[in-house]
Amino acid sequence: MSERPLAGIRVLDFGLLTAGANTSAMLADLGADVIKIESGAYLDPFRVVGKIDSDEGWWNRSPQFRFTNRNKRGLALNLKDPEGQRVIRELAVHCDVVVENFRRGVLDRAGLGYKELSAINPRLVFAAISSQGDTGPERMNVSFGSTLDATSGIASLTGYEGEEPRISGMDVNYPDQIVSLFATGIVIAAVTEARYTGKGAFLDFSQREVASFTLGEEILAASADPAHRFAPRGNSEAGVAQQDAYRCADGRWLAVSLDAPDPSMEAFCASKDRDTAVAMLLDKGIAAAPCLDGNDLLRDTRLQGVTLVRDESGGLVKGLPYRLDGKGLAIERPAPDLGQHTDEVLRELLGYDDARLKELNDSGVTSTTPTIGEV
Amino acid sequence: MTEASSRPLARFTIIEVNDAKIPLCLRLATSLAAKIAADLGADVLKIEPSGGDPVRRAPPVLPQGGSALFQFLNTSKRSLMLDLASESGRTALTQLVEKADVVLFEEPASIASALRAGKATPVEIAAFPLETDAAQRPVSELAIQALGGLMHMVGEPARKPLKLGGHQASYAAGLTAFTGLMTALAARDAGRRAPPVRVSLAEVMQWVNWKAASGAAASGISPGREGRNSEFQVLPCRDGHVAVVYTVTQWPATRTLIGDARLDDPKFSTRAGRRQNIAELYAALAPWFEDKTRDEIQKVAQAKGVPFGPIFSPAELLLTEQYVARGFLADMTHPTQGRLRLPQLPVQWNGRSFTPRPAPELAP
Repeated sequence: MSERPLAGIRVLDFGLLTAGANTSAMLADLGADVIKIESGAYLDPFRVVGKIDSDEGWWNRSPQFRFTNRNKRGLALNLKDPEGQRVIRELAVHCDVVVENFRRGVLDRAGLGYKELSAINPRLVFAAISSQGDTGPERMNVSFGSTLDATSGIASLTGYEGEEPRISGMDVNYPDQIVSLFATGIVIAAVTEARYTGKGAFLDFSQREVASFTLGEEILAASADPAHRFAPRGNSEAGVAQQDAYRCADGRWLAVSLDAPDPSMEAFCASKDRDTAVAMLLDKGIAAAPCLDGNDLLRDTRLQGVTLVRDESGGLVKGLPYRLDGKGLAIERPAPDLGQHTDEVLRELLGYDDARLKELNDSGVTSTTPTIGEV
Repeated sequence: MTEASSRPLARFTIIEVNDAKIPLCLRLATSLAAKIAADLGADVLKIEPSGGDPVRRAPPVLPQGGSALFQFLNTSKRSLMLDLASESGRTALTQLVEKADVVLFEEPASIASALRAGKATPVEIAAFPLETDAAQRPVSELAIQALGGLMHMVGEPARKPLKLGGHQASYAAGLTAFTGLMTALAARDAGRRAPPVRVSLAEVMQWVNWKAASGAAASGISPGREGRNSEFQVLPCRDGHVAVVYTVTQWPATRTLIGDARLDDPKFSTRAGRRQNIAELYAALAPWFEDKTRDEIQKVAQAKGVPFGPIFSPAELLLTEQYVARGFLADMTHPTQGRLRLPQLPVQWNGRSFTPRPAPELAP
């Protein structure tokens, strides 16, 4: 009875950075067996972006990579080598889901696109996550995090009143963070459907569309009323009498939403320490909260809920955005070293023997070290 | 996919309970999660309190008087008004929930404890984590963006922190609740016990803003809003604004694209150097943008593989070539609100979109 919701589901994970790798991480957290594919010639960029030293094995120590890839097994297979491609096709027979967020066309050129893999395994659910989607004139456009704050419309509603629009920036890259919250649910829907009908699906996700979807009511309002106005709105919100961030006597900021205007709010906050002001406002039934920073979030373990966890080596990793059965995340294994489970998985799923594994390693199809040197 | 019967969730039944006296930011999360399931074909019955879901009166308001927010969040659902303060209302709800797969509701709801104990798997939306024991604490979208550390990340360091536009705290939680709901349906469908799901807006916001905590843990210093000191900034152009975004490996292409001799100065050749001289860097970048339109900038930048982001408003997105080509926007004729155009679910499933049905009228 304690079987996890996705026990028995296996995921072939080409997901990189946040949008892709986090979708498969959420599947792993629900009990799926996620095998992450990288190659010595192409690491998950989070291994490189998060580089903290240059000593041997640096590629296995990135905090960002560790945050996003716990509970996965890791394989390193060269996708540009026909032998590597052949191994992937053999693995696809044993998988239920593929997650990928390469630039459009990369897997197709390697003979590993949906067409080829679904011909081998018709039950496969193939989640392709890209900037603009798999079709349309902009399908090949590149984007990076905050590009999509801009092109999705979110930036146009963000900023100080009467000033220029703003993006969430590289320390947030907001549109990258939300796509996996939606894509994971859709993948589970398609897996459920595939179990029922025996047929898989090609799921085409546009990250830009996911971000615009969060402004659905604004787009809808604009369609009915060309006079509907758009501009950065500071911290105000239509329908809320007064809402803003105010500086307190200790120099820290709090946020307040009021049902009726109160011109004295700024002076009230300025006369109190932040925590005192928040407590007094909450007592009066007013929605108020401190504007916390990363250190505040690290310290407040009650507020953290299930969102942060430590793995067996004590490293901080991303937890869950929700809880199931009242519980948070079980870390069953830390993020894999590059190619850590290549031999284990190829033996287990494909029955490869020592000779075959040695052959793949000798020819550079498999590896545990980057072939790219300094990145 | 035009036939409801062919939609993937057609065999599932979901009850969305809107009780009285629930903070707006929680309502939006619940309704978004249920809307996604409804557009995917689930039979979603929305239980509204006497007088209807208050979101029916929430802005933005359409020319015919309806709420765009309500219309967006309640597509493809059915609706039933029940007074949950009355015995008969609660009995009617209990009977409906007995036959459902999943029931969605908010933590402060008067009927929460009964719904947690029923046969339908509970998906519960809360403002705060269980550990804070704060079911009745006043809450708002802004309060959650503040608590989750997101506001600390947006704006100028010497000025007030800013929220992101839209209902991001509610909607990120709504997307999360949808995935939780799907987990429950998948478990039930596989003959397994489905785990009760609990989603709090505060946890989702912190989860989304994970780089704040990971950055603070790695260096002891929290990342924060850098405004005019940040690497990615917004610059004005001839017809609006463009977000200047490029990765370390895209810097040489960016420099070539702008073609200003000042950028060849060696102090700009490393990321550290660009950060140390950020005002000078942007002074050298800005003139290139001034006389070009957003479309021109996007075209030439993309041709060089540089991911600059032209800033579009929601009204402009209605005309975006990419969205029109992909059929991302659905046309809908609403019985009282007239012709509307709205985003569909942001996924194409074997090339097909899930056209929504208009939100229900209030039915007693």
